Amino acid sequence: MSNTTRIMAHVIPWYPDRAQSMDAVRGLVDAGVSYLEVQFPFSDPTADGPAIQAACSDALEAGFTVADGFAFLDEIRTITDTPVFLMSYASLIYRPGVQAFVARAREHGVAGLIVPDLPPDYDEGLYDACRDAGIACVPVLVATSADARVDLALSTKPEYVYVALRTGTTGSRTELGALNMGFLEKIGASGTKIFAGFGIQDAGQVQALAPHCEAAVVGSAFVRTIAAASGSGVYEAVKARAESLLDAK
Amino acid sequence: MKQLYNDFFGEFGGRYVAEVLRSPLDELESAFVDALSDEAFMREFHRLLASYVGRPTPLLHAENVTRDVGGAQIYIKLEGLAATGAHKINNALGQALLARRMGKPRIIAETGAGQHGVATAAVCAKLGLQCRVYMGEVDMRRQKPNVFWMEMYGAEVVPVTSGARTLKDAVNEAMRDWSANFADTHYLLGSALGPSPFPDMVREFQSVIGTEVVSQLSALGVRPTTLVTCVGGGSNAMGFFSPYIHETEPELIGVEAGGRGPAQGDHAARMNGLGTPGIVQGYRSLFLLDDDGQVMPTHSVSAGLDYPGVGPQLAHLGQTGRVRFERATDSEALEGLQYFARKEGVIFALESAHAGMVAIRRAKELTPDEAVVINMSGRGDKDLFITARELDAERWKEFLTREAASL
Ligand SMILES: Cc1ncc(COP(=O)(O)O)c(C=O)c1O
Repeated sequence: MSNTTRIMAHVIPWYPDRAQSMDAVRGLVDAGVSYLEVQFPFSDPTADGPAIQAACSDALEAGFTVADGFAFLDEIRTITDTPVFLMSYASLIYRPGVQAFVARAREHGVAGLIVPDLPPDYDEGLYDACRDAGIACVPVLVATSADARVDLALSTKPEYVYVALRTGTTGSRTELGALNMGFLEKIGASGTKIFAGFGIQDAGQVQALAPHCEAAVVGSAFVRTIAAASGSGVYEAVKARAESLLDAK
Repeated sequence: MKQLYNDFFGEFGGRYVAEVLRSPLDELESAFVDALSDEAFMREFHRLLASYVGRPTPLLHAENVTRDVGGAQIYIKLEGLAATGAHKINNALGQALLARRMGKPRIIAETGAGQHGVATAAVCAKLGLQCRVYMGEVDMRRQKPNVFWMEMYGAEVVPVTSGARTLKDAVNEAMRDWSANFADTHYLLGSALGPSPFPDMVREFQSVIGTEVVSQLSALGVRPTTLVTCVGGGSNAMGFFSPYIHETEPELIGVEAGGRGPAQGDHAARMNGLGTPGIVQGYRSLFLLDDDGQVMPTHSVSAGLDYPGVGPQLAHLGQTGRVRFERATDSEALEGLQYFARKEGVIFALESAHAGMVAIRRAKELTPDEAVVINMSGRGDKDLFITARELDAERWKEFLTREAASL
């Protein structure tokens, strides 16, 4: 557990277009985020809230392809060593074959994969493939997950677990209530590192989470920042937003 | 082998969902298995199917069409005579009763054509459940009358503005709502697809169609050669076919939307090599996907068939060859609609008219001592605004203009 505030920043390549999404990455890196979660847009992202879904639609409209996504990861590598986690949906991983997708992710320097609709018991071999490739497969849990589900996720011996803090999907304000905090304690006790997120919007939330997780995941807040700044300085806006979230004194 | 809960059908099916939806689906699975073996529950279901839905629906010997086609005897299961105009209400009633039994006072549903939404809204009114229906903005525009009826039943109809703004996007939105509200909410999914246990559950509630057909045919002393029906997600097909899927006879034909033709984006046919194995919206099946795994746009004149995925059990039955799949185009469906109306006095839903045309084609190849049974999954009243525009544009426009002016 850490006492400094850390952020895993979520970005969507090609949102709102290629150049500006890379500007957003630069802003995040320069602000000092600890991890990047790069979401490859999928046409039907059922586990995302309206803000991220709309951004994914826009990215696909702007011409995003999976090949572009991997090229985007390569470009990130040229500017930073910040660990990159690739988040997407089963359809994109299953289409070329799970093994092939994982191998490709590894070649492009990905530290881990986050695929919410391939849970450990319906994973199509994802967990094994990641283990073989030496990259993390990050299970996603919610505070309402039954004990058996938690045990199953932890039985994969994950280096990281992603905890979705509110029941529901990303985008609305999260109260860090007793249920969430208790759940974070429980998962943390297993020794795994936790990414905790969904709906984080202000520095107070980041700070409240800091002692309980490896990093607070911030997603739709950056999507909104990018939407507002599109065409007029995404780099500066995202950097300022990330700095304000990290600046939790 | 017949089994209530399967999860997988060969390589298709499963429960590929984010963790947040696991507990509601696990809960639903045990509630469904439990309810179906509870005689009191089934008695209540069948009581309302009879008194409220209007079952059994008739099996019509289409004598005029039979004579005109000059092949096999043609029978039509008039499923469209069920309350609210389509088979959708069988499943809506079953699941709504199940929700009530589970103590969930709030129902959410997705709808494309609006038929499932109307059926759900009606059943919720009857059972005193709160109802919210998600409907793509594009579908809301083309199916305005159904929106009107849903609201008449007291349902809240929520426009979905994301993605392609059609049925699949309404499913996404309903899944999102369920993720946040499953404690008091049941997601009443409208076809034999989605994460398990939905495909098994929807088939069971729709199997009343096939069960009735078996006894109606046997009362007439008819052994069917071929059963034909349309396939959107596959709920009416699975219900209609269910008594026969573990037998080798009769021949079973599923008809998909051929749309404007086989080019990408012009149809909604997933079988016969057009679809790709994929995992979308919680289940593994055949979908219309691009090389990256993105869901591709679809088209059909009938909103009820306009969906990129097919139910997992049908995908499996297609793979094993037990169900054969064919396509009918938009214009064939419109032709079928007019043909059955003129010859037999029956107006098919556009979805069902796809099956009507393929049934005629098949009957021609057979002999008069054989029988083809069509499931008319819906009646065509709901399509007035589409068919009138397609078939009688000038006079329809005149009428609408006059109506608008008089408002
Ligand atoms: C009349 C009618 N038939 C068929 C369908 C297709 O659905 P399914 O394949 O689930 O029966 C619909 C769907 O809305 C419908 O309204």
